[in-house]
Amino acid sequence: MSQMDIEASFPRLPTHGYVITSPATTEYNCIAWAAQDIDAWWWPDSLQLYFWPPDIPRVETLDAFIKAYESQGYSICHSSDYEAGWEKIALYVDINGKPTHAARQLKTGYWTSKLGRLEDIEHKSLDSLAGTQYGSVSTIMRRRK
Amino acid sequence: MTYATSTISKKLALDFEISDVNDMAIGEESAFIKKERTRSVEHYLFPFSRKWSTPFARFHMLKKEWEIDTAVKSSISEIVIHPAYQQIIGMGPTAIPFILSEMKIKRGHWFWALKSITGEDPVAPSDRGNITKMTEMWLLWGREQGYIR
Repeated sequence: MSQMDIEASFPRLPTHGYVITSPATTEYNCIAWAAQDIDAWWWPDSLQLYFWPPDIPRVETLDAFIKAYESQGYSICHSSDYEAGWEKIALYVDINGKPTHAARQLKTGYWTSKLGRLEDIEHKSLDSLAGTQYGSVSTIMRRRK
Repeated sequence: MTYATSTISKKLALDFEISDVNDMAIGEESAFIKKERTRSVEHYLFPFSRKWSTPFARFHMLKKEWEIDTAVKSSISEIVIHPAYQQIIGMGPTAIPFILSEMKIKRGHWFWALKSITGEDPVAPSDRGNITKMTEMWLLWGREQGYIR
């Protein structure tokens, strides 16, 4: 896949600004990447084939995803603005409220995302990934660095 | 399809997949030309009239469609519910050697299909989500079952 394919899926990216920061890989996904795990693909699938934090319900609900990140030390906050000393993540949901994506804030205030089995990117705004693929940002969480 | 044609098809299909992985350093125009070349060769190898003529051709057409449509997805349920993936599962045991051959050259989310078709899961619970280990365990299973050498 190429830059063109990424931009076809996320048409706002070129105008909002982004850079590709890794090769494509299937080793981890956005949910793992947001939690700084590059060794597993996280998902609460019903066949229990993929990683999901222990004791967190294996269901595809926003509540379960929030609990999964709470198990990693995050708690809900109300601003996506950069705050020194805090690491923030953003959870995206589709129109049915089902989680689709997670992004992690960098110390520049920009965001980093793993795009499915494609590359990691650094993007300036959360809104640049909003749309038909990932829906919109629903929840911001943070933890102490 | 003759054996010779089948071998060439497999080799070219392999070339496409390998070339997919290393396209970061090429320019946008080169990427476009490469994509069009791939499409041309693919149309030559798999004209519409022959798309469903062999299980191998069918598998690769479905795989390609599934990979393109789910490339940016993180959700395993969205990845495996794709109609092309479901059709691969629907091929039953016929698809197993194609899936395992694919896993030998390129990692992908074939675990759901393999478990659905075979009813087995050789992956240890502690390795859930570790794509490298999951792939290794399924390839080992494939060797033990005589699907691959």
